[in-house]
Amino acid sequence: MSLTSSDTPALQLRGLRKHFGRPAVDGLDITVRRGELYALLGPNGAGKTTTLRMVTGLLAPDEGQVEVLGIDMARDPAAAKRGMAYLPDDALLYGKLKPPEYLEFVAGLWGLRPEEAEPRGRHLLDWLDLSKHAHELTEGFSRGMKQKLALAGALIHEPQLLILDEPLTGLDAAAARQVKDLLLSHVAGGGTVILTTHILEVAERLAQRIGIIRQGRLIAEGTLAELRERTLGGSLEDVFLHLTEQA
Amino acid sequence: MNGAPGSALWLLGHELRLAWYGSAISGGKRRPGTASIVVWVLACVIMHAAAFALLYALGKGGMSEELQGMAAGAVLLVGATFMLSSGLKACVLALFERGDLDLLLSSPLPSRSIFAVRLLGVAVSSATLFLFLFGPFANVALFMGRPGWLAIYPAVAALATIIACAAMLLTLVLVRLFGARRTMVLAQVLAAIAGALLFLLSQAYNLMPRGNREEVAADTAHSLMQHGLLAPASPLWLPGRAALGEALPLFGLVVLALGAYLLTVGRTHRFFVHGLQQAAAIGHAAPRPAGSVRFRFRSSLFETVIVKEWRLIVRDPHLISQVLLQLIYLVPLLVLVVRGSDAPGPLIGTGLTMLCSSLTASLAWIVISAEDAPDLLRAAPAAARTIRLAKLAAATMPPLLLLALPLLWLIARAPLAGLLAAFTVTGAVLSAGLITLWIGRPAARSNFQKRGKENVASTILDLLSTLSWAGLSFTLVSLTSGAATWTLIAAPIALAVALAALLTAWLFRRRAQ
Repeated sequence: MSLTSSDTPALQLRGLRKHFGRPAVDGLDITVRRGELYALLGPNGAGKTTTLRMVTGLLAPDEGQVEVLGIDMARDPAAAKRGMAYLPDDALLYGKLKPPEYLEFVAGLWGLRPEEAEPRGRHLLDWLDLSKHAHELTEGFSRGMKQKLALAGALIHEPQLLILDEPLTGLDAAAARQVKDLLLSHVAGGGTVILTTHILEVAERLAQRIGIIRQGRLIAEGTLAELRERTLGGSLEDVFLHLTEQA
Repeated sequence: MNGAPGSALWLLGHELRLAWYGSAISGGKRRPGTASIVVWVLACVIMHAAAFALLYALGKGGMSEELQGMAAGAVLLVGATFMLSSGLKACVLALFERGDLDLLLSSPLPSRSIFAVRLLGVAVSSATLFLFLFGPFANVALFMGRPGWLAIYPAVAALATIIACAAMLLTLVLVRLFGARRTMVLAQVLAAIAGALLFLLSQAYNLMPRGNREEVAADTAHSLMQHGLLAPASPLWLPGRAALGEALPLFGLVVLALGAYLLTVGRTHRFFVHGLQQAAAIGHAAPRPAGSVRFRFRSSLFETVIVKEWRLIVRDPHLISQVLLQLIYLVPLLVLVVRGSDAPGPLIGTGLTMLCSSLTASLAWIVISAEDAPDLLRAAPAAARTIRLAKLAAATMPPLLLLALPLLWLIARAPLAGLLAAFTVTGAVLSAGLITLWIGRPAARSNFQKRGKENVASTILDLLSTLSWAGLSFTLVSLTSGAATWTLIAAPIALAVALAALLTAWLFRRRAQ
């Protein structure tokens, strides 16, 4: 499943910049190791989603470099995208497709062979409790079901790097637990997860390292313990508010 | 309109405000722009001038009042079928597509008031266009000494109310019988058929067996005009006589409209609420036991994209009805192709070319411009070129497959004319697809009917391409039957315009972001 040697980082951003009239991302340098769950935090408008959209090739940076699993996104976007999956806060679904049809389409986009896609699709639908809804159009799904189906689509090609923008927003407790378990199991299996969230308890409990950005710049990065040290303790919420208000 | 907050009048004011924002005149603004006002004033002046010309000619011709009533009745009958079509669409919109009914029904407003206002909204939306079309006749007639024609206003409003009630009742009955999901499809299909009904009726003469069809048509018309449905005393002409100011028919029509409205509101508002509850359940099918999941993964990306696009089209009732409407217009042409015994005339090729081009343009807009998840496609490692080609194929294959058999039949009957028609149909279909592929703009599927306004360049090039390919078809097929020499000059001009439209689209093609 490895695309490049396992000692290269899962994601490396160097001097990433993007302007929309004003700087949205302003010289961002981030390195995420393989097998790590990295939480990217920041207040509204800090540049989190813009960063993720540049990482996934949906937005071209004005300056800087994005390297996914050792592959330069600008030079070989197809190879970089092959080992990655992106889940935005608004799930990328088709209302008039049924779950198996959606997975068939996503598998086709990632070029999976039918014989490898079928058992994975079946397993994912069972695991995420969607098999009993396999004959329904996704337009009638709740937000949680939609998010789970989008996750199934993201996981069907077994990506090494999973990127999620606000994956738990609007989910009920059971669905949120399921998604969190899934992320932890992905990391336990050697995969990498990068997520943004406004629910700081989630980052506190799941993330191995946390990056905090404000106005497009990385203002702090490290484990929760390291961040606490910098700010004289407290919860992640205290740390976050201290850092973002101070910067 | 300033009713007390929470009253039916206040709600009506809210509806009218929303209708104003959605209208072509306002352009979505509180006050229309100067350009919009100028265009509408100009349109009004032209309509009044046309009405004056027609009424002046009628005055000189000395048409009897009886005949005038019959003519007005026929026009209103034509209008009524279009009103039914737009009324059905408006009912589907009111029941299933507008997202504000949950808010309204959760408020202390009585559901009867909500239904009454919504039904009135359907009637007003049906009447507006026809008041714009027929109103100038009333205004001009007043100055020409025929004040009775002012009755056009109440007659059209009354007819629209009756038709709106019929459309709402039909929609609610369909919900009762078939459930909300099927009703959405059925109502849209019925609206399409109602819209095309007059076209199909107008083609009845062409579709009659040749030979003695002139005699049969004349006999039928004569007999209907003497004793049957088309006789001068027939109740069919009452709305026409009402519109021209005959007191009793006008009074009857208005009373009928009021009665229909009050009865519909009084007797069926519970069905309305039931219909809404059914609509809320759309998409919530009963779960089936696990283990019955069936996959059909495909080994080619091209095939995967095509299947996905076709699934999305066939499951969208609104789009089906729009596409179906275009297919309905194809029916008489296909009958002529299959039935005729002599060489196919140039009009058949022209008609097929125009309809296939417009059908492809619609499908291409749905498939290419109205992609629901563009970020999913762009985040995937799949080749963008393959996806675009597959989308182009998904849009162009249905019209070509649909016409493959009739075109083969045409080629078998008249090889040269058939081949030339097949060439122009294929050219028109590919051009329509490519124009959207190159200069189409991302849009939401729900904006299908507004697509022309959203991308004017694409609309103009589409129209130019359709007309020039159709013109080319006409000239080329005419040449096979020894037409005039002007067609020799017109054919290359039509081809040049078609290619120029394509070239312009290519030059302005949108680069992938």
